[in-house]
Amino acid sequence: MLVKENKQLTRDILALTLTGAFSYEQATPGQFVNVLIGDGAAHPLRRPISIASANLQEETLSLVYRVVGEGTKWLSERSRGDLIDVFGPLGKGFGAPLEPGKVLIVGGGVGIPPLYQLAKELARQGFKSDIILGFKNQRDVFWTGEFAEFGDVTVCTEDGSTGEKGFVTEVIDMNEDWTTLYSCGPKAMLKALRTHFEGRDIKGYVSLEERMACGVGACWGCTCLDPNGTVAKRICKEGPVFPWEEVSL
Amino acid sequence: MSVDMTVDLAGLQLRNPVMPASGCFGYGREYGEYYSLDELGAVVVKATTRYPRLGNPTPRVTEVAGGMLNAIGLANPGLDEVLAEELPWLSRQNVPIFVNVAGDTVDDYCQVVDRICRSGLAQAIELNVSCPNVKLGGLAFGVDATILRELVQEVRKVCSLPLYVKLSPNVTRVQDLAIAAASGGADGLSLINTLIGMQIDLTKRKPILANKTGGLSGRSIKPVAVRMVYEVAQEVDLPIIGMGGVYSGRDAAEFIMAGAWAVEVGTANFTDPYACPRIIGELRSFMEEEGIKSLEEIRGCAL
Repeated sequence: MLVKENKQLTRDILALTLTGAFSYEQATPGQFVNVLIGDGAAHPLRRPISIASANLQEETLSLVYRVVGEGTKWLSERSRGDLIDVFGPLGKGFGAPLEPGKVLIVGGGVGIPPLYQLAKELARQGFKSDIILGFKNQRDVFWTGEFAEFGDVTVCTEDGSTGEKGFVTEVIDMNEDWTTLYSCGPKAMLKALRTHFEGRDIKGYVSLEERMACGVGACWGCTCLDPNGTVAKRICKEGPVFPWEEVSL
Repeated sequence: MSVDMTVDLAGLQLRNPVMPASGCFGYGREYGEYYSLDELGAVVVKATTRYPRLGNPTPRVTEVAGGMLNAIGLANPGLDEVLAEELPWLSRQNVPIFVNVAGDTVDDYCQVVDRICRSGLAQAIELNVSCPNVKLGGLAFGVDATILRELVQEVRKVCSLPLYVKLSPNVTRVQDLAIAAASGGADGLSLINTLIGMQIDLTKRKPILANKTGGLSGRSIKPVAVRMVYEVAQEVDLPIIGMGGVYSGRDAAEFIMAGAWAVEVGTANFTDPYACPRIIGELRSFMEEEGIKSLEEIRGCAL
């Protein structure tokens, strides 16, 4: 695909906008693509990056990623007009709410982007969303305005430098009633959320990440276990989004 | 010019010499969504054990320069489910099936091989005696020539299909293991499995893989693999399936010149999901350009 824009969002997070041949209409919120780094000779493993948005009308695919190593550093150096080999969409995304009512969307750090397309879709379908976006501190904040178009956004930072101070679980108003909770972020956050809502009648979804090799379910590199620890599930194939009662966090 | 890419592997006819390697291709379904599996010479399925195995903790995979490390730990659904769910589907795809078999004991191997042979759902067995990522998992069988010969002898008694033994590179003289497998009754040899490696996370100051060590594969191991195929081909008169960093038709040709009859493609599938059909096309083009009419013409020509 062709790079349209590769824009710095924070010190280490960038938004890559691509255009060209892609199955835009097949991409559902929460799915990911597998991106080839260079010609693959030095970097044989593609980098799994979640889809922030796939826009069929504009023919654009947006990927938001954090620069963590050589592969994502290479990606951050691409600019308009460069070609990038993108394979996907892959995996299973977020399920639609099963009943009418308000939903809660909770994202942490670089786990926020895959929730963008979800928030947009839900708003389009007429669902009201409360959106909680958690960051480490002010310097890490991005896309809070973008999300505000689709619901009521609460921002929190660990040090209180922007928005409310504390973890996402500390700013959730538990007097509200939501049918469904959608979350993506660090595993500790997902675990805390599930514990926080224990006993409540709410359908929860978590998006997991793991080091992957094939990205299509063939190598069993990125598995997680069910809560009993007896059944392995492939994050790239059965996930990355799982109903939270189906996985061990 | 028409080129003949067929190969006769111990009585098993393949339409071409390219097959995905065990562990890199599941039981075929996943890549079967992207291209028709009947383009392949054969499919070598994931290592199958007598009972289901969850495998190692994650992280199980990591990239290194020109390759990757894996420590999956032989995760697989176990023989019963493989026979009930996986092989029936794959056997309808019009492609020969090699079932890779792993175990902890001689009895494990014999039980699995016996039931797979009697199921009629496979065309060949690849005995995995070289997985570096589990404590037992067969590696003990793969590094001791006497133990290996005894294992192959026992498996041979219950194996009615062509029997390939997949050799470990983590030995001093791979030829000795090849000779042991041959004298135990193997019909052919596959080599190489992965080389044991490690990568340290500089931030955490610990190995990246939960298993600490993992098997190195990909482009970086190709020269080692070619050398080992060459050495084994000099000493053992059995068909060899070569593997280790096969990324292109030219890589496949290199293994064949070193003495391989066919090649397996592993890590390349992850870099390019269409690697296998691409490599088949490239090998055909290479043969046409070089005026090579059949694989036999170049097989072992470098020896």
